[in-house]
Amino acid sequence: MSFFLHQKKVLVGITLVLALCLMAIFAPAISSYSPEARVARSHQPPSTEHIMGTTKMGRDVFSQFVWGARSSLSVGIVTGVAITILGTAVGLIGGYIGGWVDRVLDLVTNAVLVIPNLPLLILLAAFAGTVGPTVIMIIVTMTSWPWGARMTRSQTLAIKNREFVVAARMIGESRLRVAMVEILPNLLPLIGINLVGSIIFAIVTQTTLEYLGFGDPLRVTWGTMLYNAQNSSAIMVGAWWDVAAPCLGVTLVGLALALINFALDEISNPQLRSGPALSRWLRLTRQRAKAMEAKR
Amino acid sequence: MQALLQRAGTYFIALAIAIVVNFALPRLMPGGPVDSMIAQLGQRATPGVIAALKAKFGQIDQPVWVQFADYLKGLLTLDLGVSTSYYPMTVVEVLTRPLVWTAFLITTTIILSFIVGIFLGALSAWRRGGKTDSILSPLAFVVTAVPPVVFALTTLFVLGVFYRLAPVSYAYDPNLDPGFNLTFVRSVAAHIVLPVLSLAPYLIASFQSTMRSSMISVLNEDYVTLGRAKGLSNTMVMYSYGVRNAMLPMLTHLALMLGSIFGGSIVVEVVFNYPGLGLTLFTATLARDYPVIQGQLMLMTVITLGANMLVDIVYGLVDPRLKGTSN
Repeated sequence: MSFFLHQKKVLVGITLVLALCLMAIFAPAISSYSPEARVARSHQPPSTEHIMGTTKMGRDVFSQFVWGARSSLSVGIVTGVAITILGTAVGLIGGYIGGWVDRVLDLVTNAVLVIPNLPLLILLAAFAGTVGPTVIMIIVTMTSWPWGARMTRSQTLAIKNREFVVAARMIGESRLRVAMVEILPNLLPLIGINLVGSIIFAIVTQTTLEYLGFGDPLRVTWGTMLYNAQNSSAIMVGAWWDVAAPCLGVTLVGLALALINFALDEISNPQLRSGPALSRWLRLTRQRAKAMEAKR
Repeated sequence: MQALLQRAGTYFIALAIAIVVNFALPRLMPGGPVDSMIAQLGQRATPGVIAALKAKFGQIDQPVWVQFADYLKGLLTLDLGVSTSYYPMTVVEVLTRPLVWTAFLITTTIILSFIVGIFLGALSAWRRGGKTDSILSPLAFVVTAVPPVVFALTTLFVLGVFYRLAPVSYAYDPNLDPGFNLTFVRSVAAHIVLPVLSLAPYLIASFQSTMRSSMISVLNEDYVTLGRAKGLSNTMVMYSYGVRNAMLPMLTHLALMLGSIFGGSIVVEVVFNYPGLGLTLFTATLARDYPVIQGQLMLMTVITLGANMLVDIVYGLVDPRLKGTSN
């Protein structure tokens, strides 16, 4: 707990994520208009009545922003979890079992990693026709697991031959138990990084795909908001609020999650620390040195 | 040598996956793509064209392996089929010109961001924990969190529409005749400004943070301490001892980034109507021009693999430690 309080970055990140999630959950209570109803004249700038203005169709941008968070966040989170599970499983199995299983899995991981992701996604989406959230979730998961798998594999390889794992094997624990009870808990910080990164990636990818016109234009999400704004040439006619709202949403989520990830990264790799964290660490080591001195 | 072979195996598998996906997808969804393509061709769909399309997309009375062999033969002879939306043109013809524009856009961006990113990363590692670092590192990190779409749209609005800093659409003034004269070159240069500015920040930030961690670990090495002990100037230690050695991982990072650079360029090209591969892909998906979409994936995969292979070879040449070691 002290960790969360000391790290301002994590605190800001978590607060932002929670705020956005609450906004999504309580969308009906927060938004005063239906996101799909024509409630005003087209392209009205932000005012007290419509704090984020209106779209070309005369819909309230703020209501769309709030309702869009629902779909964007939920699809992003579920996809992120799926990517992480798949990546962790592949990395853990390959790294722990080793041998030809590892060679095959590693080969496939690296191979999928070098295929350009977005073009592959666009191809899959194009053949799937109009893509609902489920299809987006499936194709993003299928193409985006290798990063996590690679990280997990190398960490598994590093842990596999430590004394406590060897000891567990020596006393005759089953392979499954060793993998799940001895190795997996030690991968947790890594899995956390993987999860948060995957959620960011999933939200950004989903938004990009929807912006490019895949995805169901009738659903209100941040991506389809951008798509509709683009189609009504909102930027060219100066209706910046129409574009700014979904952009703000995606950026805020990205930023908040990245803040959390940055802190997780610093825990697992203290070399990267800078600023206050570094000086705190130096202070700690100095205190420890003094304590050692005093003992002597 | 063994490591190189292993890498080659990876690229082979990657290529195989791309080919199999391209081959299998239209065959897994019977009817759909071919019928819509024939409908799209309308009057131009002669029986010969229809037969060719059906053969390419698996509606043909032949065993799958014969179809696959034909498909591979087509790939090897650069026959990727005909485009359905630009009908008499083949996919290769449709993709050639956009390839040139995308190559131009991407290389310009990469060169710019590589230099700036390495410089900023080295600087913030050198001044680690200092004022410069405490501004640069969080900044890089904020920038990497912003999705490319948001960057492109913001640049379009703020720099393009509001300040009218540079042209916002196409790769050159359409009133000009393409040619090697000053007006045309200037027009091309002006039109690439905003796309590069929207693509570069993300890359710079990403190169910067990789360079920072690479440089930090290099600066901990004994030879850097030795360099300082010899009384070399800071600049000398930083560039000749630090940056030179910290550059190596940057090459790998660059090769790995290439796929996402293509992804970013798709978005940026759509936003700025830049006539590269991304825009072609976008219009092809709108028109359901499946042969072009497939050709696109093949092309981008081959380019990415080629770049990765190139990096592997260069890496071997630059880093003598890798010679003769396995893995």
